[in-house]
Amino acid sequence: MQNRQLLEDLRALSKVHTPGRVLEAILDEVGLGDRYASLVTALGPVFVAWNRFGVSAVMKTATGEQFEARFSERFGRSAYPAAELPSGIGDRFDLRSATEFERAVLLKAREIPPGEVRTYGWIAAQIGRPAAVRAVGTALRKNPVPVLIPCHRVVRSDGAVGEYALGGSDAKRAILAAEGVQAEQIQLLARRWRLASGDTLIKYG
Amino acid sequence: MMDDSSLARALADDLDGHFEQLVRTYQDRLYGFALRLTDSRQDAEESTQDAFVRAYRALERYPAERRRELRLRPWLYQIALNVVRNRVRRSVPTLVALDGAVGNGLAGHADEQPEAIALRAERWARLATVLGDLPSRYKTAVVLRHVQGLSYAEAADVLGQPRGTTKSDVHRGLRLLRDKLEPELLVEARNA
Repeated sequence: MQNRQLLEDLRALSKVHTPGRVLEAILDEVGLGDRYASLVTALGPVFVAWNRFGVSAVMKTATGEQFEARFSERFGRSAYPAAELPSGIGDRFDLRSATEFERAVLLKAREIPPGEVRTYGWIAAQIGRPAAVRAVGTALRKNPVPVLIPCHRVVRSDGAVGEYALGGSDAKRAILAAEGVQAEQIQLLARRWRLASGDTLIKYG
Repeated sequence: MMDDSSLARALADDLDGHFEQLVRTYQDRLYGFALRLTDSRQDAEESTQDAFVRAYRALERYPAERRRELRLRPWLYQIALNVVRNRVRRSVPTLVALDGAVGNGLAGHADEQPEAIALRAERWARLATVLGDLPSRYKTAVVLRHVQGLSYAEAADVLGQPRGTTKSDVHRGLRLLRDKLEPELLVEARNA
């Protein structure tokens, strides 16, 4: 047998494809595998992904495949379908991709009880960065786990609902309504918190 | 795709954020390596899985500085080789699994004649079988150098031996392969 042919044939033996289940099993075993399932919310069904750190993503897409594509585009890793959500989901969150500031904003938003709203300025003041109102808005818009971390309960100080990652301001109004906050109340609630926060009290008081 | 040293730096900064990329970059190579050494798809799958899990655990323990300096390619092959060797030592000898012997997933060129593809597939399958039967010392050296395409220096690193030893193991392995393959070719020529 010709040496060149032998070497070519040997090299050809390297061209194999690993079955997809191998990657999945590796990531699961080291605790980096994200699983996802759908969850019915006030906004209809959404997809929720989680891993060993907690809930990693909430997105609204038409199909699981679309969710997988958007998930890997945003986080650079894969999520695999699971039969159901584990119990106690929503207690812990994977906020590794967030900055320290963003984490502070998100965890503060988490403290707002259902049926209530706060303003962006309230969050900024609460986390000790009263001037960072716009940055609070940006951090909430990037919330990887909307609904479960209720960024929808944060509204503008003029009573406008503001933006919402999970389907715009209509969706935000809808989820607030489902929690018992009606459109006309938002202005009132926002005003109450605006008045309660010291720095704006002077301006509006 | 990131090169090895960028990937090592990325792993040093954020292991969890880049580990999947490490697996995606290297899984076909480690799987192919294990497949040639074990001649069984199932063993190759399990070895690949084991090797990456061990790699992750090691990376978790290493200080960032050490992760940054890692030469990922030889390091991963070394882990895979240890996993395969330990599995062989642990397991009871079994019949050689035939399914792994045929180079699976080997695609031909689109414009080739079916007969040519079939002939070549047969040649590869026979080569895989003969390679699988080599004494493991020569088999491992040939697979690292000529199937996986590592340099002699890298292969010697993986095997933990001097470069000269690796070189002579590779040459001896190639000679054994040719010896085993040639009589079959001669028989074919005579019958033609």
